Amino acid sequence: MALVLLPRQLENEAGGRRRFDVEAETLRGALEALPVADLLFDERGTLRPLVHVFVDGADARDELESPLAPAATVRIVAAIAGG
Amino acid sequence: MGDLLIGTRKGLFLLRDGDVRGPLLTGWAVFHAVNVGETIYAATNSFFFGATVQRSDDGGETWERAESLGLPEETGLTLAQVWHIEPAGDGQLLLGAEPGVLFSSEDGGATWQVNEALLSHPTRERWQPGAGGLCCHSIQLAPNGTLYIAISAAGAFRSEDGGESFVPINKDVAADFLEETYPEVGQCVHKLLLHPARPERLWQQNHCGVYRSDDRGDNWERLDKNGLPSGFGFGLALDPASPDAAWVIPEEGAENRVVAGGRMGAWHTTDGGASWSLEADGLPEPAWTGVLREGASFDADGAYFGTQSGSVFARRHDGDRWNEVARQLPPILSVEAWR
Repeated sequence: MALVLLPRQLENEAGGRRRFDVEAETLRGALEALPVADLLFDERGTLRPLVHVFVDGADARDELESPLAPAATVRIVAAIAGG
Repeated sequence: MGDLLIGTRKGLFLLRDGDVRGPLLTGWAVFHAVNVGETIYAATNSFFFGATVQRSDDGGETWERAESLGLPEETGLTLAQVWHIEPAGDGQLLLGAEPGVLFSSEDGGATWQVNEALLSHPTRERWQPGAGGLCCHSIQLAPNGTLYIAISAAGAFRSEDGGESFVPINKDVAADFLEETYPEVGQCVHKLLLHPARPERLWQQNHCGVYRSDDRGDNWERLDKNGLPSGFGFGLALDPASPDAAWVIPEEGAENRVVAGGRMGAWHTTDGGASWSLEADGLPEPAWTGVLREGASFDADGAYFGTQSGSVFARRHDGDRWNEVARQLPPILSVEAWR
C-alpha cells in the first residue's frame, strides 16, 4: 500500500489524521480515496492549481494517471502562496 | 447586546456573552456564518482547497464538511467561492456563490442542489464579475415566501415561485460603469436587505449609490444624494423596529476603498433615507480601513459592523455611541448577529 501524507492544513479536514495507507493503481486513485478528495480536486476532477503532489520526492502533479508503486510515498503540498 | 458570528480571513470567531472565542475553522476564510439554533453553518473558502460549507452542532468544537458542492459539467462552470448562507425555514438552507449561483440544501448542508433557474437565467450572458467575482451575496426571504437575491454585478432578482424563476428588479438603479447607465441587469449590488417588519421594503447599498424600494423592488429611489459623503460602500444594517431607519458606512469610492473622510463613520437615517447623519461617537478617527459587504449586521438590540482592520463595533438601537466589542482580529469578512 502507498503511504499518502497530507499537509497540516488538511489535518482537521481529514479527521485529525495526516497519514493514510492507500491501495490504488494510479496516483489519481490514491488521492481520490482520501477523505479530503473534494478539497484536492474540483468538481471536474481537476487538481486544484495550488495543490502540489510529489511521489517519492518527484513532482507528479501532471502524472495523476500514472501507475502507483505499492511502496510509494505520496506527499501533498500546498503551494507557497497566500497572505 | 447580542451575540455575533464573526467571519475573518483566518477563521471564525464567536462573540458570546461578551467573550470572544476563536479562531475556529483555522485555515479557512469564513465569508459568512449563521446559526440555526445551536447549529452553526459557515461558508468557507481556501486559496488552496476551494470552497465548501461547514457545519457544527457543538458550538464550533467540531465541524462537518459538505459532502457535495459543485456545478453540473454541462454548464462549463465550476464553483469558485461560497458567499452567503441563509436559513429558509423547514430545515432548508440557501447558499449564494460564485459564479452567480444559488444552491439549496434539504439535509442540513450535507448536499446541495444548484438552482437551475438562476443558473440558466436568460440574462446571464450580460452579467459581469465585480472585484469579488460574480458573487451571489444577498439572499432575503419575505414571510410570504418571496425570495430576493443579489449578484455583483448582475443586479437584484425576485422570485415568487420558490426559485422556479427570477425577475430582474433593477429599475432606476444606476450602473455608471456600463455604457447603458440603467440597464435591465448588470448592476453592481453590494448588499440587499429586506426589512423584517415591512417586507415589501428593500434597502440596497450599491456600487453606484444607496437605494430604497417600497414595492418589492419594482421601483427604487436613490438616497445617497441626501447628505451622504459618498454613494459607494458595502455595509448595510437595519432596525427591525423601525422600517425608516438604516445604517451605511460610506467609502471614498470604487478607486479608493477606505472609509470616507479619513474616519470610521457610520451614517444613520431615521426617515427612510431622506436625510443622513454621521453617528461616530466611539468610532476611531483618523481611520483608513473599510467594511466589506458581509461586514454589517443587526438584530432587535442593535447594529454591528466589523472592519478590515479587525475591530467589531456595536451600538444599541436606542443608544448614542458605538462600542468596540472585539479588536485585533484578522481582517473581518463578515459579521452576523446570532439568531
